[in-house]
Amino acid sequence: MDQHIKKVYVPMTETAFLILLCLRKPNHGYGVVQMVEKMTDGAVRLAPGTMYGSLAKMEKDKIIRFIREEDKRKIYQITDLGMEVLELERNRIERLYKIAQEEMHHES
Amino acid sequence: MKVKKQFRYFTIFEYEKEQEYLRKMHRSGWKLVKVSGFGMYHFEECPPEDVVYQLDYNQDGLAHKDEYVKMFEDCGWEYIQDYVGYSYFRKAVSDDGTAEEIFCDDESRLQMMQRVLKGRMVPLLVLFFALMLPLFIMTLSRHEYIQAGCAGIVLLLYVVIFIEFLVQYRKYKSNRIQ
Repeated sequence: MDQHIKKVYVPMTETAFLILLCLRKPNHGYGVVQMVEKMTDGAVRLAPGTMYGSLAKMEKDKIIRFIREEDKRKIYQITDLGMEVLELERNRIERLYKIAQEEMHHES
Repeated sequence: MKVKKQFRYFTIFEYEKEQEYLRKMHRSGWKLVKVSGFGMYHFEECPPEDVVYQLDYNQDGLAHKDEYVKMFEDCGWEYIQDYVGYSYFRKAVSDDGTAEEIFCDDESRLQMMQRVLKGRMVPLLVLFFALMLPLFIMTLSRHEYIQAGCAGIVLLLYVVIFIEFLVQYRKYKSNRIQ
């Protein structure tokens, strides 16, 4: 994997993580906003400026690709490279979580 | 319907101040109709309401305006207009008092500043070093103090803008996770 991509996306923001997670299935920006709101019980509401900027940047970095347009909404899907990045990030978070679990378990 | 015009000058990086100004106007019963010319704000009378105004600077968005505006409208934002590269949006504060913004993390706020930097600041810097600074030095060396004074005031304004930019940029940068 490109070192630039790794540097930019590992670790990535919560926004980027949730977008990639949702785009494992083709969807448009607003669809992702709705999915995330549902997934997090309304705790995370992605904002349109952030979404538009993130999607454009991710497409440029080839971790998502444009599929088609529907009613002025661009539909995107994650690429193989995007899946790799998502997996790396998931592992990183999982490792952190495990370490925290063990450490806090020892203390209690 | 009553209308009024106000002149306000905001430097390139004062979009947060500008947003606050527009929100305050709406809260006191004046909603923005348009911005035109050199900082002329047109308002019309309306019932006072707490409405959040937000500015985005996105050249890619302007190039794909349909999809860009659609994304904001889907999220409940009203698109007002574009003005010198900025896009103006507004959304009423919800009943539970949540004032939404068009950016939800500092990473994307920083990216917006970087877009402003590229689009507006770089041309300004070129102007500064290629034109204003030589002009200042030249007039000063020729003892043309009035001209030098004018150039000096402009130079000072530039410096203030640069410093403002740096302060805000560092604020977002230090808040970032990476």
